[in-house]
Amino acid sequence: MASSATAAAADPEDLFAPDVIADPYTYFGRLRETDPVHWNPRAEMWILTRHEDLVWLLRHHELFSSAVISTDTRPPHPPIDPADRPLFEEVREFRADQLVEKDRPPHQSMRAAVHEYFTPQAMESWRPFVRRAVGELLDEVEPQGRMDVLEALAAPLPVRVITQMMGVPEEDRDHLRDLADKLLYINRGEPDRMRHLMKGIEGMIEYVSPKVDERAAAPGDDFISVLAQAEKEGVFTRHQVLVNTALLLFAGHETTMNLICNGTLAFIRHPDQWERLRADPEGLARLATEECLRYDPPVKSTQRIAAEDVERRGKTIRKGDRLRWFMAAANRDPRVFEDPDRFDIGRQPNTHVSFGAGIHYCLGASLARVEGQEVFRALAERFPALRLGVEPEELSYQPSIQFRSLASLPVAWN
Amino acid sequence: MGLKITVDHGLCVGNAQCVGLAPEVFRHNENRQSEVVDPDAAPGELVLRAAGYCPTGAIEVADAETGEILFP
Repeated sequence: MASSATAAAADPEDLFAPDVIADPYTYFGRLRETDPVHWNPRAEMWILTRHEDLVWLLRHHELFSSAVISTDTRPPHPPIDPADRPLFEEVREFRADQLVEKDRPPHQSMRAAVHEYFTPQAMESWRPFVRRAVGELLDEVEPQGRMDVLEALAAPLPVRVITQMMGVPEEDRDHLRDLADKLLYINRGEPDRMRHLMKGIEGMIEYVSPKVDERAAAPGDDFISVLAQAEKEGVFTRHQVLVNTALLLFAGHETTMNLICNGTLAFIRHPDQWERLRADPEGLARLATEECLRYDPPVKSTQRIAAEDVERRGKTIRKGDRLRWFMAAANRDPRVFEDPDRFDIGRQPNTHVSFGAGIHYCLGASLARVEGQEVFRALAERFPALRLGVEPEELSYQPSIQFRSLASLPVAWN
Repeated sequence: MGLKITVDHGLCVGNAQCVGLAPEVFRHNENRQSEVVDPDAAPGELVLRAAGYCPTGAIEVADAETGEILFP
């Protein structure tokens, strides 16, 4: 047992090795410099790490399909309880109908139906709500002088915003929060995670289904009404409406959580940049959020499948091959960013690829930006003495190749 | 009255919302970034909507004669 664990940790192709999970930048940065289009035989996928290559891949959606979950027949990793395998298949089927899994032509009309709801202007109108929500969450913990950023701020904030967007009445908020927490098991490593995840999915279907009928009959200005209308127009099926409401709750939750936690940690580790933000929180919040997104992105990597044979940097990517592209590595590409490993909140331009690019560019990017800006601004204004509340070595990350998720982030300011 | 449309290629991520909405006005170049084919080939309202749809705010629309910024 001990020897196989040691052997696994020593495998240079092990993307789940503890040191790679703790610090993806060294490992994927080395790949970016030595073998930017790398075949990983253990994970059976290409690893792309250069900024130029990611932008190229993302803008060529006709060469690289997004239908990755629906076509992946490999067992889940980290492994799950064998008895839960049927649950895994159900989850796979459910997720296959997510907008992020669709290619053109269906993707174009599906995206168009929901895009207007998330434009930069539309999301700007949510800023007062976000500001108030951040203020209320910080009011609750301020007297204690300490908090777990994840528990007290980063997890509840996006759920509050998204449930408001869904038009969920006040009394249902806690129920939705509970479902949102269950959906987070998509990204966890526990062997029994499929059971929690499935409860979240079933709960969402049960809760949202009657709402879709209500909103179809009497539309409001909420996101479920937008999807109900798209269903009436034949752009979304009912299943797709339910799946993508769950996607909104999950995708907006996990990623925003990571933006807030990773950004806060970056400030704690770089007191000079924290001082800089403190001197002008309102003026610097926008650029600072972009730098947080670049420096330690919420999503480390995402996948595509080659739709035909493609040549890149002397390698032949075959039709059907899987590719994983690491924004975590591309965001530190010295060909694009000066002094890329430096956290510099004045960096401009900041052409990070943390929201992707091309036709699948993050639908919620503008919302994430508003949330990040309001959080970092408020923390700088209210908690100037912010510091880590535990020893640095006590921090740990979820064993995910996709998300850069701290397990917790205890801080103090008194 | 004509429009002057500028696409900032430092910001354009190729999301193609403008191309989808107003294909007479916008198209993708070889780098898959938007460029203007004919600023006046669609109603001004539609062009403004396309500019507002840009997820990165890469599109600026002005009055060609007066230079007045119409979006953002």
